[in-house]
Amino acid sequence: MKRFLALCAIATLVVSVFGCTQEGGSDTSSTASSTAKSAGGESVKIGILHSLSGTMAISETSLKDVVLMAAEEINAKGGVLGKKIDPVVVDPASDWDLFAEKARDLITKEEVAVTFGCWTSVSRKSVLPVFEQYNELLFYPVQYEGEEQSLNVFYTAATPNQQLVPAAEYMMAEGSTKFYLLGTDYVFPRTANKVLKAFLKSKGVPDANVIEEYTPFHHQDYQTIVGKIKKFAAGGGACVLSTINGDSNVPFYKEFANQGLTSADCPIMAFSVAEDELRAMDVPPLVGHLACWNYYQSIDTPENNEFVKNFKAFCAKHNLPGGSSRVTDDPIEAAYFGVYVWKAAVEKANSFDVDKVRKAVYGLEFDAPGGRKSMHASNQHTLKPVYVGEILANGQFKIVWNSDGLVSPDSYSRYLHPDGKFPAPTGGPKKVSTSKNH
Amino acid sequence: MEKHIISDPYPMTGRRHTALFTAVLTVLFTSLLSPSTALSQGNTAAEAATQLLKADLEGKRKALAAITQSSDARVGRFLQAYLGSEIYLWNDDFVTFDGSTDERVVAVLDAFTRSPLDASGALVKVSELGVSLSAPRRLRRDLQNTARIFDLLSDEPEARTLSATKLGDSGNPAFLGPLEKALEVESDSDVRFVLEESVAILRLQDAENTALEARLDAARTLGEFGSSRAAPVLIRLLDEIGDSGDQASTEKIFRASLSKIESYEAKIRLLGYIFSGVSLGSILILMALGLSIIFGQMGVINMAHGEMMMVGAYATFWMHEFFVHYMPEGLFNVYFIVALPFAFLVAAAVGFVTELVVVRHLYGRPLETLLATWGVSLVLIQAIRLLHGDNSAINNPTWLRGGAEVLQNFVLPYNRCFIIVLCLLALFGVRALMNRTRFGLRVRATVQNRDMADSLGVRTRRVDGLTFAFGAGLAGTAGYALTLIGGITPDMGQNYIVDSFLVVVTGGVGELIGTVGAGMGLGVLNKFIEPSTGAVWGKVLILAVVIVFIQWRPEGLFPPKGRVADV
Repeated sequence: MKRFLALCAIATLVVSVFGCTQEGGSDTSSTASSTAKSAGGESVKIGILHSLSGTMAISETSLKDVVLMAAEEINAKGGVLGKKIDPVVVDPASDWDLFAEKARDLITKEEVAVTFGCWTSVSRKSVLPVFEQYNELLFYPVQYEGEEQSLNVFYTAATPNQQLVPAAEYMMAEGSTKFYLLGTDYVFPRTANKVLKAFLKSKGVPDANVIEEYTPFHHQDYQTIVGKIKKFAAGGGACVLSTINGDSNVPFYKEFANQGLTSADCPIMAFSVAEDELRAMDVPPLVGHLACWNYYQSIDTPENNEFVKNFKAFCAKHNLPGGSSRVTDDPIEAAYFGVYVWKAAVEKANSFDVDKVRKAVYGLEFDAPGGRKSMHASNQHTLKPVYVGEILANGQFKIVWNSDGLVSPDSYSRYLHPDGKFPAPTGGPKKVSTSKNH
Repeated sequence: MEKHIISDPYPMTGRRHTALFTAVLTVLFTSLLSPSTALSQGNTAAEAATQLLKADLEGKRKALAAITQSSDARVGRFLQAYLGSEIYLWNDDFVTFDGSTDERVVAVLDAFTRSPLDASGALVKVSELGVSLSAPRRLRRDLQNTARIFDLLSDEPEARTLSATKLGDSGNPAFLGPLEKALEVESDSDVRFVLEESVAILRLQDAENTALEARLDAARTLGEFGSSRAAPVLIRLLDEIGDSGDQASTEKIFRASLSKIESYEAKIRLLGYIFSGVSLGSILILMALGLSIIFGQMGVINMAHGEMMMVGAYATFWMHEFFVHYMPEGLFNVYFIVALPFAFLVAAAVGFVTELVVVRHLYGRPLETLLATWGVSLVLIQAIRLLHGDNSAINNPTWLRGGAEVLQNFVLPYNRCFIIVLCLLALFGVRALMNRTRFGLRVRATVQNRDMADSLGVRTRRVDGLTFAFGAGLAGTAGYALTLIGGITPDMGQNYIVDSFLVVVTGGVGELIGTVGAGMGLGVLNKFIEPSTGAVWGKVLILAVVIVFIQWRPEGLFPPKGRVADV
């Protein structure tokens, strides 16, 4: 019996060793991959680096889905420079170190031409050295805190002056005089609040009217904080500028409503709550609160309605959780048009070479589902319109304010660098070529 | 981008036109209260409304002035609709509709009278209505204030309270007239309180037109009320008086009121800490109860305890979905009552199967149990993730939304009160079960001396399975309770497993009273520390306290007495 069990154990071990070396189902093409990116190949690989499990899965899974949809659409129309896109999906599981490892795998093993990925700033900062070491490209589709400019990243979503600052200006114009800056404790809210405090100070808001507070990830108990907000809001004129991320949003809004505060007493302007998060939340306590983005699903244009319809159909067709009740939001739109921007740049440069593609992206104008946008001529970011939206009972947003045209992005905030001196961009082509030749 | 210039971030509008504005508003209010003029003014109001929507900015201002003269009660709702972008220009008519914009077809109503445009009741597609009209930014504040004055006579007490609060907080003494008039006719005691508070706040600041004696009276009243709304005003006035010393008596009265307000605020803050501590404690106890039974009475370290809780939460979600999709709408709230036993049973079933398949073979081997149950937790998390993804929205029952305002400014949310009651019921239930039923007798016998119990005819294997299932069921009940507080994700159990073990270990393994004491103690302690240190450091300090406590007293608060088998 013992020997039999031992044999079984060894057999299991052997089988699982073989199983572990089959990574992500894509190794069948590993021998072919070395030719995939060179001129003679039939397909070109792109990497998708989004968490499909763990704490960020709520937000990032939809980005993976929409990039796959964009790849499918492009392939149906003949691909990029005649080559079909072969998407390589990996799951870094909300583990920031694993992000860097997976990025390295995508670049060195899979030899992808470009990667679409990351959500949290900490994941982006983890992969940055990898992309800079190999001089490869990452398209990053999520609003972030700025203070970064890497020649190996194209930032397709908002910088602080395209989201945080216009939102704060809107709140001031609506009569807010007291600001409660509440966020989750990590780099994005900390830096965002630095920018917001500098901005508010520059507009003459006294220090006593600005409170800053942080909670850890997964924090569930907001009783004390809501009590503090209540006292802060007594007498009118207060608002909350919220950079709470992830599943802590639900208990916060619930506690806020249950203690008797409404959006009329003290509106919450959230920077990390979009249609996709609202899908998972008990919406009634949130109605009337605000968010600031560069895109909403409720933008009523034929192009956007078409995009929304296609995304819902894509999710239903591939039996993704949620199916046709899935929604689109700002990061989803940014991830989607990121793929098309890369395609347009490749076609303009007539090459997959990173340095040529990079040059071609600068100044590129394109039609995104939410409208016409363009890439900045030099600072790696995107010109986008700004919208303030009010949450409706059906989980969609009603646009209550929009900017006058496209807002040009500041990679470094002028409120934190009033002298205009910014650090030089990092990354880019190496003097000694270690990059892969395509 | 430069459209929204911030010209005046501090809303103290109209101070120059106070007298004229007051006069206009008092006239308007008196006319509003005299029904005889209502009919003849009705047409004027409708005309002014149309003018307000049609004209350019100057014309709009004139129309707004005209409409404030009217006594038509429909003006308030009309202005709110205009401010809320709910009015459309459709086929040369100004229209609106009831309901939300996600309905495909609606019955179109006249924007002012809200009577149906088409008597036959034909429906129109929302998309045909085009883009709604937007009130010009510069007019918004005046529109809002006028709407609020009309809302002082609204049918809904919440609308009256909101208007009274906002008009009082504006600091504009021009609103004293309308507020005082509203006070004369208000019957609802809660709304009366807010009106009195607002009148006092405005009088307090009105140095120009209110006599000093009346202002001091207002200050005293606000002190009695413990009015948090008045505190910033008093602070500002005291700042303005400064150190000059010539208004010593005024200053004394203001300071006395301010300190009365602050001591009231301190009192309700303390009550708040106690309530939040008890609330958090009740949640910790509910979570730890099942673990205490499994760990304490059976010596099994169940790392899947958080996932049993998560299963209970998802069982509540399944019941919610069932009621939403298959039951009539009126029965929606019933889902929550039915979900309680359902969550318990589902989690108990999962626990029973876990015990049968995994834990049974590992009794007396705590390290293996730990690993094996950790594996079970991973399986459960991923299984739920495959079924539901990471996003699940659940609507709490309507009778558990909001809270009870037991003292002025002190609200006890209904959901937390419910959880405290649930916790007490669970405690009594467990105690009754363990001490007064045959099942409890068999459990205690098995735990104290398994061999003797076996030889006396107790089916110990069966008892083990049922005890484990019972502990898991209690965890499921905790998950059911947690759907009221937060959201539902597959890894929500991971947030609570550490806290559960903390409570069990601190309280003394195997003692119910220990779990209660530790749960309450940690909850209240956490809530008293958190306000001064913030949430992040608060958690760190609690962990530090527990570590020190365990070093000093390893058996926990209430150690089990007598001879107990080693874990």
